[in-house]
Amino acid sequence: MSILSYNGGCVLAMKGKGCVAIASDRRFGVQTSTLAMDFQRIFEMGPHLYVGLPGLATDTLTVHERLRFRLNLYELRESRKIKPQTFSAMVSNLLYERRFGPYFVEPVIAGLDPVTWEPFISAMDLIGCPNVPEDFVVAGTCAEQLFGMCEALWEPNLEPDSLFETISQALMNAFDRDAISGWGGIVHVIEKDKVTTRLLKTRMD
Amino acid sequence: MYANPNSIINPSLWPNGPAPGCFFNFPGANVTSTSSSSGIITRTQSPVTTGTSILGLVFDGGVMLAGDMLGSYGSMAKFRSIERTIKVNNSTVLGATGDIADFQHLKAIIEQKVIDEDCADDGFTLKPKALHTWLTRVLYNRRSKFDPLWNTFLVAGIEDGEPYLGCVDKIGTAFSDSKIATGYGAHIALPLMREGLEKKPQMTQEEARALLINCLRVLFYRDCRALNKHQIATITKEGVTIENNIELDTNWEVANFVIGYE
Amino acid sequence: MFGQAILNDNLPGAKQHHWSPYTDNGGTIVAVAGDDFAIIASDTRLIQGYSILSREQTKLFKLSEQTVLGVSGCWCDVLTFTRTLEARMKMYLHEHLKPMSTPAVAQLVSTMLYHKRFFPYYVSNIVAGLDQDGKGTLYSYDPVGHCEKNRYRAGGAAGAMLQPLLDNQVGLKNMKGGVLPDITKEKALMVIKDSFISAAERDTSTGDGVIINIITKSGVEVMHFPLRKD
Repeated sequence: MSILSYNGGCVLAMKGKGCVAIASDRRFGVQTSTLAMDFQRIFEMGPHLYVGLPGLATDTLTVHERLRFRLNLYELRESRKIKPQTFSAMVSNLLYERRFGPYFVEPVIAGLDPVTWEPFISAMDLIGCPNVPEDFVVAGTCAEQLFGMCEALWEPNLEPDSLFETISQALMNAFDRDAISGWGGIVHVIEKDKVTTRLLKTRMD
Repeated sequence: MYANPNSIINPSLWPNGPAPGCFFNFPGANVTSTSSSSGIITRTQSPVTTGTSILGLVFDGGVMLAGDMLGSYGSMAKFRSIERTIKVNNSTVLGATGDIADFQHLKAIIEQKVIDEDCADDGFTLKPKALHTWLTRVLYNRRSKFDPLWNTFLVAGIEDGEPYLGCVDKIGTAFSDSKIATGYGAHIALPLMREGLEKKPQMTQEEARALLINCLRVLFYRDCRALNKHQIATITKEGVTIENNIELDTNWEVANFVIGYE
Repeated sequence: MFGQAILNDNLPGAKQHHWSPYTDNGGTIVAVAGDDFAIIASDTRLIQGYSILSREQTKLFKLSEQTVLGVSGCWCDVLTFTRTLEARMKMYLHEHLKPMSTPAVAQLVSTMLYHKRFFPYYVSNIVAGLDQDGKGTLYSYDPVGHCEKNRYRAGGAAGAMLQPLLDNQVGLKNMKGGVLPDITKEKALMVIKDSFISAAERDTSTGDGVIINIITKSGVEVMHFPLRKD
């Protein structure tokens, strides 16, 4: 089995009308043993910026802390909030520095532009190849299931409430068909003036 | 147990050369000896003398097969007059890509089948669908014995007044379509044939022939295992005709613009 | 030491052709069973590697007036398996003077697959039809004959993408409300069409078109609709 699927887990992000949503499962396990159901793999990197780091859990933590460090330096030097595009490039750069000995994470970034409030999502592979689409991004051990769900459920210009419903249904039904994802979910809906974080109650098997 | 037991005890004189006091060890020579002495039978083979693409195209009232006449020996253009498209009977033709020996072996069996049917004199003959299914079974059974016949066949003919074109590969993957190309043709000629059929789904015999000739020419330009000597088989209600030794006009002026390889 | 003997063959220019008795020919099957009907659908693309062999190859096999089999995977195994199955069904017909029922076919499929346990047919099967009481039934299999009775199932290349969608839209999983009403024919057809459109977006081996068989007590109705061809 690949190192990327050693701990299990998945992350998903979607664009809506003036908002973005990012969601993940909450399982932490070692191969097929489930060890925790409150694992955090989505991190707040700013008031309107979130990053999800599914993959090898130890690298989830390391990459998060190294990103935090670089982001702090950036914001000290620039004295302003980072744009999601810039942050995406920063993540990509960090991963590509380890091109031949990579961190085993596949980041997903979701945020609003701090000036224009334009929604932004991106995802990349473990060596930082970015993918910046107009609709949704998926990553993790049930990426295939997530693609099937998103492709059918997503539509343009979803309002925050509909976006929450869509991303939650996509996430839950996808990870219910994956043995090493699930055990609860978390969804952040990011709007201009607020971020709504909800925990999803799901089947726990 | 080993092809050259000395090579394990004594180092060879130079890379892949003979060990001191031994004969030269040829590549591949130990495949059979390894297997026979250890009681394991190795049937895995690779093609030897090979033929490249065959194209098949259905038109209004018939079907055509086309391909060149080269039998390649690795990269050497060794046999320049091989018949890779053969007439089976008055309603069916068969074209082969891949190992020529395997094809000629099957050809002998098919010819005997046709003779047996002629002798029966009951009015029944081998129809294209029947030959296609039969070939599929033969190839599938050989792959199941891990001893495949290394070919892709196109079967073309007329059955109950309707043109038929079928394909089957070395493991028995079989399907029928109105345009099929094997080998390199699947990458180079098939898109051209699909484009032609999209513009005019019901081609006349002349249009189909022109399209196939264009495909053969493009294949000759780009497929290094192709030869400018072709066969074109046409099957209509009237019967089967196979034209042999067709040479196409070619234009190599563009070659003057290719620089940097002198 | 052993490596030395093998290395002697490893000359530049001396190449070894490897071949496999199996190949992946792609394709997706989706099936949904209702109270008095069963629907089964397949895409019509046949692939090998990155090449499209055919754009109009159905993967549905009508076995009787009330049973249809959908198969995808290694196409040469599909052909061999379905032909053997058809022959076995004919033998049953002549021995018992009646066609095989859908549950009987379902058991035969499992037995035939397990018969080749150690050189399996590389196929993903779904049997759809009506049982003796006229109710819609569905059976799905793994390549070596494990059989499960379902109300809905996606199989083949995009099976992993579509199964959660069917869980949600047909099985009403993670939805509010308790009792599951039997799905209507119209809703089932809509979900099947949407699922293939989604699969064609993300799975390169699924596309070109879809063939749908609707099995009711009056027979098998065949429908066709196009998918993206790229």
